[in-house]
Amino acid sequence: MIKDTQRFEPFTRDPIALVNEHGEWVGPFDLDLDEEQLRALYRDMVAARLLDERLLLLQRSGKTSFAMEAAGHEGIQIAIAHTVKRGFDWLFPYYRDHGLILALGVPAVEIFGETLATRADPAKGRQMPNHPGSKPLNAFTVASPIASHIPPATGAAISAKIQNTGQVVVTTFGDGATSEGDWHAGVNFASAQGAPIVFVIENNRYAISVDLQKQTGSENLAVKAKAYGVPGYYLDGMDVLASYYVMQEVIERTRAGAGPALVEAVVYRYGPHSSADDDRLYRPKEEVEHWKQRDPLERYRRFLERQEIWTPEWEAELREAAEAELARALEAAEAAGPVPEVWMFDDVYEEPLWPQIEQRRLLEEELGA
Amino acid sequence: MATMTLVQAIARTLDEEMARDDAVVVLGEDVGKRGGVFLATEGLQQKYGPDRVIDTPLSEAAIIGAAVGMAAHGLRPVAEIQFADYVFPGFDQLVSQAAKLRYRSGAQFTAPMVVRMPSGGGVKGGHHHSQSPEAHFVHTAGLKVVAVSTPYDAKGLLKTAIRDDDPVVFLEPKRLYRAVKEEVPDEDYTIPLGQAVTRRQGSDLTIVYYGPVAPEVLQAADELEKVGVHPEVLDLRSLMPWDKEAVLEAVSKTGRVMIVSDAPRHASFASEVAATIAEEVLDQLEAPPARVTGFDTPYPYAQDKLYMPTVTRILGAAKKLLDY
Repeated sequence: MIKDTQRFEPFTRDPIALVNEHGEWVGPFDLDLDEEQLRALYRDMVAARLLDERLLLLQRSGKTSFAMEAAGHEGIQIAIAHTVKRGFDWLFPYYRDHGLILALGVPAVEIFGETLATRADPAKGRQMPNHPGSKPLNAFTVASPIASHIPPATGAAISAKIQNTGQVVVTTFGDGATSEGDWHAGVNFASAQGAPIVFVIENNRYAISVDLQKQTGSENLAVKAKAYGVPGYYLDGMDVLASYYVMQEVIERTRAGAGPALVEAVVYRYGPHSSADDDRLYRPKEEVEHWKQRDPLERYRRFLERQEIWTPEWEAELREAAEAELARALEAAEAAGPVPEVWMFDDVYEEPLWPQIEQRRLLEEELGA
Repeated sequence: MATMTLVQAIARTLDEEMARDDAVVVLGEDVGKRGGVFLATEGLQQKYGPDRVIDTPLSEAAIIGAAVGMAAHGLRPVAEIQFADYVFPGFDQLVSQAAKLRYRSGAQFTAPMVVRMPSGGGVKGGHHHSQSPEAHFVHTAGLKVVAVSTPYDAKGLLKTAIRDDDPVVFLEPKRLYRAVKEEVPDEDYTIPLGQAVTRRQGSDLTIVYYGPVAPEVLQAADELEKVGVHPEVLDLRSLMPWDKEAVLEAVSKTGRVMIVSDAPRHASFASEVAATIAEEVLDQLEAPPARVTGFDTPYPYAQDKLYMPTVTRILGAAKKLLDY
């Protein structure tokens, strides 16, 4: 039954793509998304790009300490948000996933709250920017140490399997993560347990400055799946429709009991690793320009134009709406005000232990003086 | 009431907790079919099945990391690390994930889990089967730490740890797994974290200890009694939180104190207790707080019995305190 609906093969020589750079559908099956679904993918990609720009602006204007750009990653990220069961399935994202988080349904005010460490942050200002999380949407709060969220993602998937919940776990990470021991530990355990989890590599070819050739001797990252006995899909992650269809198939196969899967989504980050990085030190401008030609938004825009869905008026309208919503969210996040100093002593444990109680008193004395 | 060893008390408690709550699962290397290399999980897989007693791949990062995800997803995992010495591949999962999940998410996600591990020396295991790594865990805010030394405490504190909503590192003194037997009540009972127990009442000096050094401490206390010295002996049982009040009270009563542990001395838990005593009740002291600890070397094989605080060393420290 699964076999009948299978459209994609793992371990292809080239990344799976359904729309070419001219915006032409080149898929081997008929497109079966309705116009509203097609529009929604574009709308969310534009919103993700605009959020990215806003977050960078907040860092450049000194309102926050740090920013990580995700422009170029939107195809796979928005596809994931549209193929999981939102608020039911579990996400274990990484620090470049704010576009995915927004499209999943996390309110922008929470993302800005986290960026600015205001009371609008559900995590109470505990982490640096780009580390969101949302319990209502089962989006596990991001942690910085690379691949450290992979074994927990596997654990959640095993729990879902034991309890027979029907949930799928999707975890995302960069290419560098595949070199970590924790990545191996998590994928291997998931495979041994047949846990319902999809591992998605957002392969942008660079772990800060270290390029893929120095990261691994493998021909690509998808083939690593072979050693774990799971299918590895090699995907053009800048093609939102290919990403949508592959993720949909892989997630539903996993939900049906097929076990874990690995997806290597080939993307590119146009910006540096973070606001603390200078990418001119390790990659030529021409390379960045070359990848920008494959831009997920522009390619998909051409596709929608060919489908007679996209018009300049619609573009202007949706940008204006997204900008307005982000502006409102930012304003609300700022208006919420900074988190109180003494919040730093909460949530270390369910109830503060005596060291936190004593040390909180010390800080209060210092601040009162 | 049944008489049992410490390791039997652990196995019995896991069984009771699994029967009480379907969310409790056990995972680790060899915990299923084999029942654990020390038999701390004996019979559990036969009773509860492979979904609730999970034989994992040989990967401490996978064991502890998966426990974090299971806990966040609604289970109450009890992970076993075969020897405390092998926790380090999973250390990042304890420090970066388990300890910080509640904090970094603003309590949206939590990790109610226990990581059990046999610790301490005295079993001729060399440095990779003998270490007492509690200081690493106590130094990591977000973890609670328990170090038992008796079957009775093992049951009461393991129950508390499993039911606690924070991650708990549960240290079991492997040399005492079968060394002591005592009566353990059949009924359900818990012992709160952070509560020391007084093993001997005395007025001349205080001995604070926890975990694997219990036999030497109690023997030294008996020797002291024989020569007319009455030590107050406190077993801390849990290290985060630890019972500062009980320690300061005992020290204030006796004016002299030593802290005994088999972990290396530098930046040790014994040092934390000694520093706290010096900071808070210096005016009650008749002598500087003494630490009787392991040495600042890796745990040796040939000198297994000499690395741990010996009765002679404890008595020597007592003499110094009394003569000061």
